[in-house]
Amino acid sequence: MLRLALTQVLSVLVAVVATLTVVFFAVRALPGDAAVILGGLETQTEQVEALRGELGLDLPLSVQYVRYWADLLRGDLGTSLRERRPVGEMLRERLWVTLSLAGLAFSLALVSGLTVGLLAGRRTGTTGDGVALGLTTVGLTLPEFWLGFLLILLFSVQLGWFPLIGLPVEGDLGVRLWHLILPAVTLAVPRAAQIARLARVRLLEEASADYVRTARSKGVSPRALTRHVAANALPGLLPLLALELGGLLTGTIVVEQVFGLPGLGSTLLGAIAARDYPVVQGVAVLAVLVYVLVNWLADVLQMLADPRLRYE
Amino acid sequence: MTRLRLGVALATLVLASALVGPWLMPHDPIRPDYGARYEAPSARHWFGTDGLGRDVLARSLAGGRVSLSIALGATLAALSIGLVAGLAAAAWRGLTDIVLTRAFDALLAFPGFLLVLLLVSALGGGVWQSLLALAVAGSPLYFRLVRAFTQAELKRDYVLAGAALGASRGRLLLRHALPNFVGALAVQAASTAATFVLVEASLSYLGLGVALPTPSWGNVLQDARSYLTRQPWAAVGPGLVLACAALALQFLSDGWRDTLDRRA
Repeated sequence: MLRLALTQVLSVLVAVVATLTVVFFAVRALPGDAAVILGGLETQTEQVEALRGELGLDLPLSVQYVRYWADLLRGDLGTSLRERRPVGEMLRERLWVTLSLAGLAFSLALVSGLTVGLLAGRRTGTTGDGVALGLTTVGLTLPEFWLGFLLILLFSVQLGWFPLIGLPVEGDLGVRLWHLILPAVTLAVPRAAQIARLARVRLLEEASADYVRTARSKGVSPRALTRHVAANALPGLLPLLALELGGLLTGTIVVEQVFGLPGLGSTLLGAIAARDYPVVQGVAVLAVLVYVLVNWLADVLQMLADPRLRYE
Repeated sequence: MTRLRLGVALATLVLASALVGPWLMPHDPIRPDYGARYEAPSARHWFGTDGLGRDVLARSLAGGRVSLSIALGATLAALSIGLVAGLAAAAWRGLTDIVLTRAFDALLAFPGFLLVLLLVSALGGGVWQSLLALAVAGSPLYFRLVRAFTQAELKRDYVLAGAALGASRGRLLLRHALPNFVGALAVQAASTAATFVLVEASLSYLGLGVALPTPSWGNVLQDARSYLTRQPWAAVGPGLVLACAALALQFLSDGWRDTLDRRA
């Protein structure tokens, strides 16, 4: 068990190093020149050259790459080319928006997805199951941003219950939370549908196992049977949950844009447009690290919950 | 069975509307008509008109052509990349297998949407660039599927028998192993196409994919967002068509799987 977990840690580390390397070179392959964009259209060639030297962009790529790792290992994500301040500081300011949005959306998706999935999985073949299945398919295929439009039109414009867009930087926590409800619902719908569909299928698969038939023939009560089936079926959901949770840090980009929220997503988009390499890298590093860590954690949890996986 | 029928019917409708629709429309999807701005749905403009007086239905159909081409093309490309690499890894094993597996695993270390976003930014946006980015991001799944399926098939007795009878490796792979899992790949491909329709729309919505004036579902909706409260109709129509397309493909995938399961 321990050896398996350690081997995984090692392969995770390899994956992270490879990924960050790819991001480093991919970002520099973006068409356009950061120094020119930063200087503006009117800048003279000498000024652009001076700027390039000042930002360290005139160094060979290999030198930049080594410097990048040296800084990163000391916890320094670099300095934003555009805003001339530490990337870490910028990300910390924006992170809480994305984190609260992602946390809220994930909790909503988890609770509603599991409820629908478990209810439908227990009553397969009934009308209720059919309706649930249809609804989850629709939920899965609704374009996120379009769902956001509809929610804005209904709840903000027609009913006036929620604010139109934006998020106050300061002020009452309740008020700020209120601004995050519609975006969180928008994010939660497709993810809840995904969770519900898988929960239903896992329950169905587990319910056709031999031990269930044996237990039923020996007179085990349906309630107790459901508990056994759920205990075996639900750990199978962990990989999907990890994918959803890990992907949310950048999965919020579109919704942040629709609702005008100042989170990591809008930071990333702005940085891509301005060729602000250190900021793009910073967001990517954060997103990949969280993604890989959450997935690794899910693997470990699944092994803890399911002894069969430990002996492979 | 009903889901498969529904999926086939809906998918045919969406495809036909994207293929033939733009020719039948009396309105130009790109040229502005300043006399007809912000009109509600009517007999003349079924989905209303947008901020430049253009017919929203005409733009939805024209956008569908672009968006569906990208989504379906990218699905086919992702499937082809995964198929070739997966068959190669399973057949040749050894170093080929290790290198290919590592390479595709590295792609999987990215959250899917971030990977597409970075690729499309690096490539510079546009129809072909979006297609390529989606294909690269979607290929690891097919690589894994094909590799696992092929490995399982190659262990079975009929492959041994075929080899004993002198069948070449290529023949064993393509004529004997592949047909056994091609159905499962098709189920997955329909589902991937549904996802790609949505992801392409997101990319164009963010202004990174297909650029205006070429209409795609995503950038038509981006345009509609800027006057959403003034003219909601400009956002309702294209979104509805887009959701129908994704729904049709997902029904197709689910229905297909049901029929395959029943046969198994």
